[in-house]
Amino acid sequence: MSIDTEVAALRKVSLFSGIDETKLRLLAFISERMEFQDGEDLCVQGDVGDSAFIILRGEAAVIVDGEHVATVGEHAILGEIAILCDMPRTATLRAIGTTDVLTVSKENFLKLMKEFPEMSLEVMRVLAQRLEKTTRDLADAKSHS
Amino acid sequence: MEKSLFRFIWKNSAKYQVIILLITCLSYPVSFMLLDLPKQITNDAIQGSDFPREVLGFELDQIEYLTFLCVSFLLLVVVSNGIKLFLNVYKGRLGERMLRRLRFDLYQRVLRFRLPHFRKVSSGEIIPMITAEVEDVGGFIGEAIALPAYQGGMLVVQLGFIFLQDPLLGLAAISSYPIQAYIIPKLQRRVVLLSRDRVRNVRVISDKIGESIGGITEIHANDASAWHSADLSDRLYTNFRIRFEIYNRKYFIKFLNNFMNQLTPFFFYLIGGYLAIKGELSLGALLAVIAAYKDLAAPWKELLAYYQMTADVNVKYQTVVENFDPPDIYPLERITSDETVHLEGNLVMTNATFAGGASGQEVFGVSFKAEEGKTFCVVGSEGSGRSEVLQMAAGLLSPTAGKVQIGTQNLDQLSEATLGREIAYVGTSVHVWTGTIRDNLLYGLRHRPQEEPIADEVGQSELRRWKEEARATDNPEYRLDVNWINLERNNVSEVDELDARALEIIETLGLSRDLYRLGLQSVINPDHDAELVQRILDARHALAEKVQTDPKLRNLVELWDVNKFNASASLAENLFFAVPKDSTLKLEDVLKNKRVREFLQETGLEERLIEIGRQIAGIMIELFSDVSGDSELLDTYSFITQDELPEFERILRQMKQGKLPKKTREADRNRLITLAFRLVPSKHRLGVMDEYLEEELVKRRQEFRETVGTDNDIITFFDNDTYLPTLTIEDNLLFGRPRLDRRDARQRIDEVIRSLVMELGLRQPVRRAGLDYHVGVAGSRLSGYQRRMICLGRALMKAAPVTIIDDTVAGVTDEDKAIRQGVLEDLKGRTVVFGSASMAVAEEFNGYILLENGRVSSSG
Repeated sequence: MSIDTEVAALRKVSLFSGIDETKLRLLAFISERMEFQDGEDLCVQGDVGDSAFIILRGEAAVIVDGEHVATVGEHAILGEIAILCDMPRTATLRAIGTTDVLTVSKENFLKLMKEFPEMSLEVMRVLAQRLEKTTRDLADAKSHS
Repeated sequence: MEKSLFRFIWKNSAKYQVIILLITCLSYPVSFMLLDLPKQITNDAIQGSDFPREVLGFELDQIEYLTFLCVSFLLLVVVSNGIKLFLNVYKGRLGERMLRRLRFDLYQRVLRFRLPHFRKVSSGEIIPMITAEVEDVGGFIGEAIALPAYQGGMLVVQLGFIFLQDPLLGLAAISSYPIQAYIIPKLQRRVVLLSRDRVRNVRVISDKIGESIGGITEIHANDASAWHSADLSDRLYTNFRIRFEIYNRKYFIKFLNNFMNQLTPFFFYLIGGYLAIKGELSLGALLAVIAAYKDLAAPWKELLAYYQMTADVNVKYQTVVENFDPPDIYPLERITSDETVHLEGNLVMTNATFAGGASGQEVFGVSFKAEEGKTFCVVGSEGSGRSEVLQMAAGLLSPTAGKVQIGTQNLDQLSEATLGREIAYVGTSVHVWTGTIRDNLLYGLRHRPQEEPIADEVGQSELRRWKEEARATDNPEYRLDVNWINLERNNVSEVDELDARALEIIETLGLSRDLYRLGLQSVINPDHDAELVQRILDARHALAEKVQTDPKLRNLVELWDVNKFNASASLAENLFFAVPKDSTLKLEDVLKNKRVREFLQETGLEERLIEIGRQIAGIMIELFSDVSGDSELLDTYSFITQDELPEFERILRQMKQGKLPKKTREADRNRLITLAFRLVPSKHRLGVMDEYLEEELVKRRQEFRETVGTDNDIITFFDNDTYLPTLTIEDNLLFGRPRLDRRDARQRIDEVIRSLVMELGLRQPVRRAGLDYHVGVAGSRLSGYQRRMICLGRALMKAAPVTIIDDTVAGVTDEDKAIRQGVLEDLKGRTVVFGSASMAVAEEFNGYILLENGRVSSSG
């Protein structure tokens, strides 16, 4: 497993889509790659999150209030909001089988953004697009109701 | 202490000075003959006639006579230089001995200062006095008497010769002496004063530096670097000015002296010439006088130099010594006496008053009685005089009026041997000594050596010499390398048995858990405790068993397995499969070893490692070249520091062009290999490693071990049945690496180790190993709380009839209360005087007094 597969996985994350190759490689290098065994928790609902998870291999169950609500697989990014602001985890993530996860910590991500301001702009752009989409969706929903 | 340097010299070395003087005088005829003989050889033996000559009853012809004189000459050369050598060594030895005596005396005086005196002196000033400032005194002492005596003698002889030739010329020769004798001391006096200023100024500088180091956090926190820099710079300027002034005067004196000396021949030529012309003096006599005068210059110059040096050294001596003679210094017997009076009875303070001038809180007429075997509490807030009262009770501070007694003994009259052994004291500010925790706990039992030194044949003579030197310099004859620990106090027969007591005390003080943790982190010498080592190895095997059978644990650690690649360890560890024997070295440093180099070359690993290093360097440059130098990213994650980046860029560029310069080749290649060695595959997922290389490294491991052999002096190989002396107990137990790619692996495996240690009954031995934990400089590796507790433990260990504890576990919290109860329980049946700021605490004691503003305001 090398850094290249991790970079490929990061590239699929929309938040990072505009960031150039070398920065992504650096992000991958300073992120931790963790292995979780079947049944181990990546994070627990209610805890304050400080990292985002990108599943490189295997699957994880999304559990809300004890209920298994979804299963996520390879290349899924989870808890990305946590790397931008402090928020309690909205769900518990539990590994199904052996799962390899790339953990991007808030601290490291912010350090990178500080180092390369153009990265921040890219992230802002993505967030703005999302906001715009959400607003539009909300307006649609309102007009339909 | 002798106020003048010469009194000090004479008092302590009169005998040696006389010997030096005698030998110096003895060498004089030899030197004279040595000067005379060449003349005799040329005039008499070579150009002479009337052979054969009779010498000592033998008839010698010319050649034989020449040979005889030459051999005599050779003999005299040997004798003369032999005397010189002997004298120099003798003088040097005397100087060194006197220096040792002086330094020791000064240090002992520091030990004899009363406590309040230490508020007036700073270590920044005292240290250079004892070390650097007296250094010159040593070199001077050997010359102190012999040089003026010898050179003075020479001068008198030469002068006598001149006077014999002609009294008038003699007067002319010494005509400038009165002027010189008048002016030079006047000038020199000013130099002496300046020297004093200089010494004082340098002391202030050293004090300022010491203060800066002590208060470095404050300096940074207040942006006061500029202020301190300016302060020091100003002092340095003063120093420069003083020194420059000294130079000016010193060389002016030299100039004046030279000028005067050359003025005299002017009179010779004038007066002598006049007399010769008038026929009152023969020309030959005039020439002889002028020659004699030339010879006068040398001793005169020497004497002047000596005079200047004496003045200089004398100032140094005086400015040092005046600081070590406070009027209230304790008598020497107080610290050297070994007689202990057993203290029994009540501790009674009667009208004790302490007024230390500007230093500390004053105490007025305090009286109380702490009954023998009972507990007593002195309550008072900070500044109420509580600490002073307790220090008086411990005999550390002498009351200015009133008295402190235990039974019938007045504490002020007792020696340290009694006070320090019969009373245990823990003050408000405690000190932990550099050393192990055990050293610190047993510190209060280390009063005098408990046994005679044992020495073998060779050691005997060395020991005798050591003792002789100690006697010659008035130093104590206590050997450091014997046991100093007093065992009787704790009723044990061996030092090791004290450990049990020490652990008991640690338990009482609630430090067991801390000690256990320190124990796991401590590095022990496996030769000291073979049993413990065996038990650790057993525990290691049990842990390995547990790890292998429990699937949950198996995923947390990678054990050192000689047949398996360990992805959580560096490439160096994987290849060498060892740790360096010298714990200050890194494993990469073994590259410097020739055999290791050869092995890497022969197996072709070198090229592959360089290739890996090159790839790593390439990736690092690519990833980090845009990152700014002060970013933490670089420090935390990169293999290469900011400064090294351009270097590696150069290496890579040159490698690409295939022209790595010959000269730097080896060094550059090493840097790349070092880079490769640092790679930890599961942490740095750079994709430069593949399975083949992993297999290769594992395969080469065995070969490497065979090539280097287990008895080498650089590394110890990992071996499941060997204790690795440079690793901590914990690492020896685990014998592997927690996996880096598993979350919280370290904590989870620690938990497992803890329960296993508990299960196998290893806790106590590990704690015992914790006693060997090195506390760092003045306990810097311990927390403030731990330091205080260690000092409390030291007092308990002493098991003295009277224990005085000030401001330690003296609070009202449950934690303090519990420990306090434990301590009082431990001291049951002994007199305890306890200092606390809280009235609520006093209820736990048999009696109390409350202090306010240095006076007793209530008691019970």
